[in-house]
Amino acid sequence: MSADVPEWPTGLAAALADAMAAGAAAGGAFSTARSAALDAAEAFPGEECDLLDASGLARAYVPERLGGVAGGLPELLSALREVARRDVTVAVAHGKTFLGSVSTWVAGTEDQQRALARLVTDENAVVAWGLTERGMGSDLLAGNLTATPEPDGTWRITGEKWPINNATRGRLICVLARTDPAGGPRGFSLFLIDKSALPEGAWEPLPKEPTHGIRGADISGLRLRDAPVPADALVGGVGDGLGIVLRALQLTRTLCAALSLGAGEHALRLVADFAVERALHGTRLALLPLARRVLGRAAASLALADAAALLGGRSAHGLPGEMSAVSATVKAGVPWIVQQAIDDLAELLGARGFLTEQHADGMFQKLERDHRIVAVFDGSTAVNRSLLISQFPLLARLIRKGSYDATGLAAVTGGAPLPELDPAALRLVSRTGCSIVQAVPDTAERITALAAAGELPPRAAELAALLAERTGALADAMAELPPTGRNAPAAAFAVARQFEACFAGAAALHLLAVPCAADRAVVLTAALERCLELLVPGHQAPSDAFEPLVTPLVQPVEEPVR
Amino acid sequence: MSDITDAPATADATEVRAWLRECVATYVRLPAEDIDENLPLSEYGLDSVYVLSLCADIEDRYGIEVEPTLLWDHPAIGPISEALAPLLAAR
Ligand SMILES: Cc1cc2nc3c(=O)[nH]c(=O)nc-3n(C[C@H](O)[C@H](O)[C@H](O)COP(=O)(O)OP(=O)(O)OC[C@H]3O[C@@H](n4cnc5c(N)ncnc54)[C@H](O)[C@@H]3O)c2cc1C
Repeated sequence: MSADVPEWPTGLAAALADAMAAGAAAGGAFSTARSAALDAAEAFPGEECDLLDASGLARAYVPERLGGVAGGLPELLSALREVARRDVTVAVAHGKTFLGSVSTWVAGTEDQQRALARLVTDENAVVAWGLTERGMGSDLLAGNLTATPEPDGTWRITGEKWPINNATRGRLICVLARTDPAGGPRGFSLFLIDKSALPEGAWEPLPKEPTHGIRGADISGLRLRDAPVPADALVGGVGDGLGIVLRALQLTRTLCAALSLGAGEHALRLVADFAVERALHGTRLALLPLARRVLGRAAASLALADAAALLGGRSAHGLPGEMSAVSATVKAGVPWIVQQAIDDLAELLGARGFLTEQHADGMFQKLERDHRIVAVFDGSTAVNRSLLISQFPLLARLIRKGSYDATGLAAVTGGAPLPELDPAALRLVSRTGCSIVQAVPDTAERITALAAAGELPPRAAELAALLAERTGALADAMAELPPTGRNAPAAAFAVARQFEACFAGAAALHLLAVPCAADRAVVLTAALERCLELLVPGHQAPSDAFEPLVTPLVQPVEEPVR
Repeated sequence: MSDITDAPATADATEVRAWLRECVATYVRLPAEDIDENLPLSEYGLDSVYVLSLCADIEDRYGIEVEPTLLWDHPAIGPISEALAPLLAAR
């Protein structure tokens, strides 16, 4: 482990993994039987959340200077992914407190931040985030929940938020409220409401909504009726709501990658174990070439998504001004890449992918349902792609010029400690584009030199050159599209998908360019191979391209005894 | 990032206004003369979030830093040009 290599922080994740493994081994929280039973009963995973509270996960929702853990967004990603590896439902249920809190980290006063940090870290207070309303869809400015100022500086709030994760369980909820009857980008403000301080009758929960996946989660709503709210509940200024939400979303959308990575890794583990166990046609499934190809390709997809998430999470610290582009790319791209891997693994699992009580208590079909929500909430894939498309004109110009923020990129791709996350440095729109993609040609040259010196496999250099070529072609495709507002043409969404694949490949490329252990180079090369499959229709990966990733997954495997 | 712009050496509210008109015309695929300088840009499909990309275009062209919320506080081409004038003069 060299100090020059950017890696996931592992401290909190390891502590969580141990606590969850102990709970599962005892047949309690996080055992597969219990996860399955809670899911079937649509029951909230309360013991699981208690165990995570006791293990200190809430400290990852709070900035370090306010008593949170040290590793910032990458540490939180790593911790939440560890939970999602076991149960996406629990990760969604617990992780929501970060979403509810983040607006306060972005725009709250020092006093507001201290008060919330204390509630979250000392009391494990659950915080919900209420943006959406019935019939409002993805349009943040369509809400009707209204806050009206009182002469003494306090507020009265009336309206409904729905469907909201933890609306019923949460003690606090951060709501986006209309403060100008005319609405518009300056017509909304954010309020952090403490339900426990509201008089009786001022609020009521809306019933739990039955859901396809994450069935145990508290997906419900909140109705406020003339609820009196103190002056210091207002987060940021009056009319600042949209700007704060858009910056907060840059962090939460990047964090969503943790849910996808955890679900994908869970799927891969389940199917690899099955392939080792399953005897058929006198051999083992794990010895059939097709099965190995599916497992290897899925592992490469996850490595590709992992690279995108790692550099995406680090960008919040090192390239904060570019998060409008990075977060939209990660939020659309990572669930898309992982969903394909899950679909392929489902096919390999055969009937057991469908039966709810077979093979590890039906965990596969549960995670498959649970994972679907990641592409829907916190801005759907289409919403994020359209945000990305709106930035295409500048992104295309900067890719063609080959200019990028070299200092910021070095902070993101280097091994030096990351600067602390500065929410004030998040910008509504990037002015330096997306350095991770714009630097592909330069980094590809470094890879070529490293391969020539024998420090990287020759295939890495071939793939780097291909990716550089495709990045140029991508810029051409982006530039050819007419600039658009909310009505982007369908063809632009296909180009956005290419941008996402290119970003993920670029992340793997930058990681390959820092001196790393040989086995890491092999994994990253396979990730690049997978990226080119996604980018180039008909790309022919060598037949053994993913094989090095299969061996560690399915060992030991022997021919069955006849 | 001033090295990446090809900003005109001099720019005043009139130049900006004409350029913004062209920009918006391209976005909405209408002739520039059909763009009303006093109509909110949201009427052209450039609402709250999408108008932010116009901010990136302005910064790129003129090599200035513009707080994106300027486009929320000044929702039409005419007022935007007026608001940008002092920033351009200070370059
Ligand atoms: C389980 C669950 C939990 C949730 N938790 C919360 C929560 O805690 N807090 C909260 O505030 N909200 C929450 N939501 C709401 C969620 O975040 C979405 O905002 C909401 O469901 C919007 O739904 P929609 O995508 O159907 O909206 P619509 O906007 O009606 O979208 C309909 C379709 O149009 C597409 N579309 C929308 N905009 C565009 C565009 N610009 N370009 C192209 N296509 C577009 C969408 O992708 C979708 O396919 C939750 C939703 C669910 C299902």
